[in-house]
Amino acid sequence: MIDQRLYEEFRDIGRDIYVAGLTSSHGGNMSVRAGSRVIIKRRGAQLGRLKIEDFIETKLNAKDSGITRASTELVVHRTIYQETSALAVIHCHPRTAIALSLSRDEIIPIDVEGSYLLHKVPVVAAEFASGSQDMADLVADTLREYKILMLRGHGCFSTGQTLDEAFHWISCLEEACDIILETHLLGEERKEFRKHSESYSKW
Amino acid sequence: MHGWAGKILDIDLTHHAIQTRPLDMEKARLFLGGRGLGARLLWDLVGPEVEPLSENNALIFATGPLTASGAQTSNRFTVSTKSPLTGTVLDANSGGWWGMQFKRTGYDVLIVRGKASQPAQIQITPDGVKVEDASDLWGKTVSETTAALGQDNNRRNVLCIGPAGENLSRISAIMNDGTRSLARGGPGAVMGSKNLKAITVAGGEKNVSEDRDLFRFMLYETGKLIKASPLTSQALPEFGTAAVMNVVNAIGALPARNFQASQFEEAEQVSGEWLTDHLLVRNQACWACPIACTRVTRTEKAEGEGPEYETAWAFGPQCGIDRLDVIAEANYLCNDLGLDTISAGSTIGCAMEMAERGLIDSPLRFGRADLLHDTLRDIAYRRGLGDELAEGSYRFAAAHGAPELSMSAKRLELPAYDPRGMQGQGLLYATSNRGGCHMRGNMLGPEVLALPRLIDRFATQGKAGIVAIHQHSAAVIDSLVLCKFTNLAVAEEYFARLLTAVTGHPYKADDLMRIGERVWNLERLYNLREGFTCADDTLPARLLNEPSPAGPSAGFTVRLGPMLEEYYEFRGWDTNGVPTPAKLKMLELDSLVAAKEASQ
Repeated sequence: MIDQRLYEEFRDIGRDIYVAGLTSSHGGNMSVRAGSRVIIKRRGAQLGRLKIEDFIETKLNAKDSGITRASTELVVHRTIYQETSALAVIHCHPRTAIALSLSRDEIIPIDVEGSYLLHKVPVVAAEFASGSQDMADLVADTLREYKILMLRGHGCFSTGQTLDEAFHWISCLEEACDIILETHLLGEERKEFRKHSESYSKW
Repeated sequence: MHGWAGKILDIDLTHHAIQTRPLDMEKARLFLGGRGLGARLLWDLVGPEVEPLSENNALIFATGPLTASGAQTSNRFTVSTKSPLTGTVLDANSGGWWGMQFKRTGYDVLIVRGKASQPAQIQITPDGVKVEDASDLWGKTVSETTAALGQDNNRRNVLCIGPAGENLSRISAIMNDGTRSLARGGPGAVMGSKNLKAITVAGGEKNVSEDRDLFRFMLYETGKLIKASPLTSQALPEFGTAAVMNVVNAIGALPARNFQASQFEEAEQVSGEWLTDHLLVRNQACWACPIACTRVTRTEKAEGEGPEYETAWAFGPQCGIDRLDVIAEANYLCNDLGLDTISAGSTIGCAMEMAERGLIDSPLRFGRADLLHDTLRDIAYRRGLGDELAEGSYRFAAAHGAPELSMSAKRLELPAYDPRGMQGQGLLYATSNRGGCHMRGNMLGPEVLALPRLIDRFATQGKAGIVAIHQHSAAVIDSLVLCKFTNLAVAEEYFARLLTAVTGHPYKADDLMRIGERVWNLERLYNLREGFTCADDTLPARLLNEPSPAGPSAGFTVRLGPMLEEYYEFRGWDTNGVPTPAKLKMLELDSLVAAKEASQ
């Protein structure tokens, strides 16, 4: 059973994600790992209005009845926990990042904060971009090297030791993508100011 | 060399045998170097039948693939052995110059086995490897020995023991470069038991990066973060590690008077700020370190290095002493005698409580700063009560019928954080493979300093995973080998890319975390083989049963039970804390257990 301290963290971050426009009313999901269990938002619960009963506790390495109510993306969350050191996972739909993912294989921030924290965010594509094991394997393998990635045309998966950390990477990515977009719309020549920025694509 | 020199120097003091052996690169792949490689070699060399202070114990000095590479803080090395204090697997690590210089001799690892028939010293120089008589050095202090052997920080470096190691104190340190220490768990006594006084190194080989462009890029990126972090660029250089004294006191997690309290009323007077204002001469850095946290200090009577936070606490709040000049001088003495300051201070604090309770006949009392220095000398030379204190707090308290007054886990004295105010730290202490220690994944970061994120320090649910991840991170940093202070600013994704640049082998951040987990499980297997069980994953009764009496942590005890259950689950261990076959297979450790079972 989820305890009150952990529920409040889910509730507050879920609300922030929705209010920041990083997902639609019923989109996105979040989980944390506790021992050999996963605590994950139930399917269909609104990220911006989470109640304590909106959480499912299920096993990490075996199926149980929790899967009947858990998020569609449970398989991805489980695989990430099995294959990486992540202790928290957030999936949501940052719209500018999604827009950029439709034309790029990687997103390289051009602003200071994005460069500093992310360097580069890979974009991966799967035939079934929701809830499939193939997609879960691809996502988990990429997250062994990167803390956040974009699924082309779908959204991001972000990891951390806490929900707060995973949320930070999403917020930072979307801000970086907004800046890329707005710089592009301005159409002015960009002056590079970051030493070694040519190496970011190798990150 | 590109990361690994590929050679092990193996010296048997009993048989005067000096051998050079190739480094098994499969072991290097699985365990990297330093602590991990040391534990793997110890697994083969020192079984459960070996007494820690017998000649069959081994001392394994190990560098890592990043040692001497020029990466930030790549000066460190480790020593692995079976601890005479705890009986567990032990590694201790140290900075300075010696590790870098040893790597430059062209070896990754030095194994010392057996026992010399008379005091001996080892010299590893471009002229070859020699074992020579050291009778004229036996009995000398660390500073005398270091000077006599020609310490020169950039060219020739000395590692030695002091009187405490010679006299087999179980809380004795090995010292390098005069003032740096491999301290915890009593490795000095193991060196003393081998009649080995010193090891001098001088070398000329370089650890050159395979991918120099990537290395330069990563040096820049890593340096940028170290400069940007207020901890690594301001707090540590300006105030040293004691910068956290007031912070930890303010939240009610500073143990005082043998953990009877969680705050010390005079904390300000033993803080980093006080040290900078009253004693600091200059700060100083180890080789290739941009942080420079070392304190060179001066009192009215002496000048020396220290104290760091843990030392200021051990001789300060733990002993009820608020005189930072006396504490600094105690630190200088420990450096020269070769003593672990944490264990020495905590053991004295334990004795002070026992004296106040009438359990021993001694003038020691909390606050008796006037007795501190003589007590330390008595420990090192095993005189009077000092002879008992040299055994560490657990054996001392148990001998007087009060083992519960030893503030230790697996017999290693706890450091300067009261886990009643930091629940994760309690789990860390209880599960630490070398005994109660903060350097195996310090929860000060997430529970107090918001690194990488602030978590609820009183919460227990979900805490086990964070502790385990920090333990893996610490294990891999100790295996690279780097200073953990880089981890205050830099995460594993940077270390992975640095390692890739130096060795030419591609590493991902999670590859490193997997190596850290492998090291942790190997150490667990070692302790299980020694007879330790889940019953040893515990804390002093005071911390489990006596609520913190006052301050911001008042009313809290350590709720260890639920955290430990979640911890075993997270690790894939059974309910007795034994790694499951599936976990061992995943970590490629199954062959070790199979070999052990076959040998039985």
